[in-house]
Amino acid sequence: MADLRTNIAGIESPNPFWLASAPPTNSGYQVQRAFEAGWGGAVWKTLGDPILNVSSRFAAVSFNGQKVAGFNNIELITDRPLEVNLKEIYETKKKFPNHAIIASLMVEPKQEKWHEIVKRVEEAGVDGLELNFGCPHGMAERGMGAASGQVPSLVEQQTYWVKEVAKTPVIVKLTPNITDITATAEAAVNGGADAISMINTINSLAGVDIDTWNTIPHVGGKGAHGGYCGPAVKPIALNMVGECARHSHINVPISGIGGISNWQDAVEFMLMGSTSVQVCTAAMHHGFRIVEDMIDGLSNYLDGKGIQSVTEIIGKSVPKYSDWGDLDLNYKIVARINNDVCINCNKCHIACEDTSHQCIDMYTEADGTKGLRVREEDCVGCNLCSIVCPEDGAIDMVEMTHELPPMTWNERQAALGKVACEVDIAAK
Amino acid sequence: MSEYTQYLQEKDKIDVLLNQGYSIKSITENLSGAFVEFERITGSTITSETLHILTADARKYFSVKLIHQ
Ligand SMILES: Cc1cc2nc3c(=O)[nH]c(=O)nc-3n(C[C@H](O)[C@H](O)[C@H](O)COP(=O)(O)O)c2cc1C
Repeated sequence: MADLRTNIAGIESPNPFWLASAPPTNSGYQVQRAFEAGWGGAVWKTLGDPILNVSSRFAAVSFNGQKVAGFNNIELITDRPLEVNLKEIYETKKKFPNHAIIASLMVEPKQEKWHEIVKRVEEAGVDGLELNFGCPHGMAERGMGAASGQVPSLVEQQTYWVKEVAKTPVIVKLTPNITDITATAEAAVNGGADAISMINTINSLAGVDIDTWNTIPHVGGKGAHGGYCGPAVKPIALNMVGECARHSHINVPISGIGGISNWQDAVEFMLMGSTSVQVCTAAMHHGFRIVEDMIDGLSNYLDGKGIQSVTEIIGKSVPKYSDWGDLDLNYKIVARINNDVCINCNKCHIACEDTSHQCIDMYTEADGTKGLRVREEDCVGCNLCSIVCPEDGAIDMVEMTHELPPMTWNERQAALGKVACEVDIAAK
Repeated sequence: MSEYTQYLQEKDKIDVLLNQGYSIKSITENLSGAFVEFERITGSTITSETLHILTADARKYFSVKLIHQ
């Protein structure tokens, strides 16, 4: 069986599956049950000056019968005094010495505030710290969370203050509510971060009730923006992890978070550069025991590929993640319809005809059999037909042999630049 | 006319000029597509021809020809 043990910036855990800082890690009772279920680590619900919460707090977006496709919350950090949390952290660590407990922290952007909380939390025996620069609501209005995390100089400064006193590894958790996450990731590295984690939640409003005109969720008829997470945010998180992993100045390990719901999602995040993964929404939706399938699935996947240790897959897809300008303009795929499998629903024809390149023809044989055929020479390989096709295996996207040698946009522009070349007719 | 047929026609025009000994001298790209100026020098005579290329595939095609000319 493959070795799932993980070491991120010196924080060791029996497997890469951690619970993210959120309601599942609110208390010692919960974290201990999670460890019993098999979770390798837990990032404790963010500690700081205890807050006051509102009711209600959560909302979910369902899509076509799929419950919790996205999840929205307006909950803040812990509402329990620091001493209570630290006592439970201490007890939990004693019972589970081999599991990782990371304390998530958020205080005002003042050096003495950071020094105080870091020292007190480390005394309780945590394995590492995670700085919450990501909470997008409530705390941000008070200058903390995302309000700090959107300003690279504040990220760097506060990380530096923490590193002045921290004895355990420091993970900086980044907000996705920023145009270019590599700017804040680099700031964290410059401040001395030992690792970074991403993403926290994305600014969101789950919906508006079209009968009452209230926001969803609402608090007595009033709403405020919340943070979005769950399966819907996975592509956004995965890109942010990939962008950081391939950035030459961001040379610390990454803990990937955002929409991870099963072992396959976890593998994707690890291939894209995550050393560990963190999960919140999936655990809230299905309970702690989902980790059993995650562990089994990951083990079987690694065994099937003959891989000894999970660490071997970290970052394996990163060299394949590039800029658009480095993609081969002459690489060509086309759609091919497998008429044995096709159920003639015509969705591909409609999609292509109405919204793509009009290259899927409907035909009727002499015996009256109806079918669909792709005019391959007109197909641009956009994938839309295979995306909308409801029948697995009915449409294959097949690679064509290169008619022209590979050429990227950057190579083309360099070649055009060498001959007398104008790009603006106004100059003529 | 399908875009592919249009591409084949533009590709043909490019090939004809290249086969006649022309090479790409300049390219102007703008909102209307690409204007590719071909030039041939025979002795002291310089002749030039300009093609207005409309299709995306033909713009890829002349770029490949330019890289390899
Ligand atoms: C209800 C709720 C409360 C959360 N509270 C915190 C928090 O206190 N500290 C923190 O760093 N992140 C918090 N998060 C964000 C999660 O840790 C995580 O970054 C985010 O939910 C994305 O992961 P997911 O898609 O697996 O849920 C919270 C998320 C939810 C849903």
